[in-house]
Amino acid sequence: MSKRFSLKNGIIHILLILGGIVMLMPFYWMVATSLKSGGNVTKVPPQWIPNPIDWSYYSTVWIKVDFARYTFNSFFIVTLDVIGTLLSCAMVAFGLAMFNFKLKKTIYLAMLSTLMLPAQVTMIPGYFIWKSLGGLDTYMPLIVPSFLAGAFGIFLLHQFYKSVPRELFEAATIDGCGPWRVLWRIYFPLSRSALSALGVFTFMGAWSNTMGPLLYLHDKKMFTLPLGLLFLSNDTGVQPQLLMAGAVIVTIPVIIIFIIAQKQFVEGIASTGLKG
Amino acid sequence: MQKQNRWGYILTLPFTIHFIVFFAFPFIFSFYLTFTKWDMFNAPDWIGMGNWTKLLTDKPFWYAIRNAALFAAVFVPLQTIFALILAFFLNQAIRAKSFYRVIYFLPVVTPWLAGGTMWRWMMNKTYGLANYMLSLFDIPPVDWLDSKYWWLPITSVALVNVWKGVGSSMIILLAGIQSVSKELYEAAALDGATRWTLFWKIVFPIVSPMIFLVLILSTISSFQAFDVFLVMFSSPDIVSDQKLTPNILIYKDAFLTSKMGYASAMSWALFVLIISVTLVQKWFEKRWVHYE
Repeated sequence: MSKRFSLKNGIIHILLILGGIVMLMPFYWMVATSLKSGGNVTKVPPQWIPNPIDWSYYSTVWIKVDFARYTFNSFFIVTLDVIGTLLSCAMVAFGLAMFNFKLKKTIYLAMLSTLMLPAQVTMIPGYFIWKSLGGLDTYMPLIVPSFLAGAFGIFLLHQFYKSVPRELFEAATIDGCGPWRVLWRIYFPLSRSALSALGVFTFMGAWSNTMGPLLYLHDKKMFTLPLGLLFLSNDTGVQPQLLMAGAVIVTIPVIIIFIIAQKQFVEGIASTGLKG
Repeated sequence: MQKQNRWGYILTLPFTIHFIVFFAFPFIFSFYLTFTKWDMFNAPDWIGMGNWTKLLTDKPFWYAIRNAALFAAVFVPLQTIFALILAFFLNQAIRAKSFYRVIYFLPVVTPWLAGGTMWRWMMNKTYGLANYMLSLFDIPPVDWLDSKYWWLPITSVALVNVWKGVGSSMIILLAGIQSVSKELYEAAALDGATRWTLFWKIVFPIVSPMIFLVLILSTISSFQAFDVFLVMFSSPDIVSDQKLTPNILIYKDAFLTSKMGYASAMSWALFVLIISVTLVQKWFEKRWVHYE
């Protein structure tokens, strides 16, 4: 009996590993291609392991194609997005969880509706608003909305604040602590785990965002990494190595964050049904 | 009580501004735009139903809808079946579960621009790894992304999309399968149920709401796909009509040729289509999804 089961598990492992190879092959091929020198990249049959290893494409893409600047821009925008999302979502979630007011139901409804409205419907008027405000070719359209709280983050933190016993809030109020201070001194630090999950999600989303930068940024100096990579890939004369080196630079930060924050990320998806 | 009211409004103010400026106003304005011709520099020109009647016979628009439908038809079932199998495997008490989870999840967090760039190179007709692998079995090279048959590039991208998305569906389904209690398994196993009947009679009914969620999410995402087509096909200004998809077409018409009114009409048509597809799925849901 037990032997049959272990045989079955063996088959499962083999299938999972075969599938895993398919999943990882593009990553390996990206790295391998980026390190091949000159004509080795078009050899048939292909070189499985780059020989000799040529690092020069990384310095070309980093300095000459200016990925160094794009990396800085991306980190700048994403950092502000994370800060803005955490602060504003905590504020709104706390307001909804702790206070009763007339339009509360309306706000819930509004939050749900924003989750269902596809982005392309609001895209053109959104662009027009930023154009009228002089926000084209600035980072405003990419940063300001995150300081105004999004429905996903509010829901996530709201669940947490609801689960905290109300007595805590009441006790602090009796001690003479105003709601503003209760939020930032007590509730905000208390929700560290929910905040870090939200922070990871926000990082991933903002880092990959292509539509926003594509609409609002036209000056090459302002480009983010995905936009820089898109422009590079639309240039038909570009060497595959250079393109792959660029793709490696875009990928590395998210992989590092993912491996560190793997658990929160996976649990967040499982509990909210959010698609990456 | 008065004070309570005040704090509620103050604290939720950021979202209220967000909603009014970036959702409510754009939503209404965009609907108005569907009846106009507008280049964003001059005032919008009211043309009544002009955009909507044009939509009915506009070839590029229907190519885009056709492509999105094929894309969904390939991507949604494949992704759901693979995700279900993976989740079922991972739920068996096997070692290294989190190791596999990380591997299958890696493409989900990889930005589309990077993932698409990798695959575009792998699917290169002359030098791509995909065709080299086929050549080992004496299969002639396939023109994955530039074939003269319209369905081939769309199918190729749908397959890449399965690679990208299967991990997140797997996680949602795995959470569902893990909610099946051990006692239930053991009781069924004691009664002599095989793994096959165990799966169909116990796991599947309990997981069916999750499967349904995954189906809806992936169908909606296929009609909204943008980044993947942006990176896998040539840029929107030169991509052939046969390879258009709804959001690429909307982007192209609005921002490359300044037809804001017509692009708005297309975005509303797509919105209505997505809602209808979701409603149809909801109707099917009643027939096979099991809720406790």
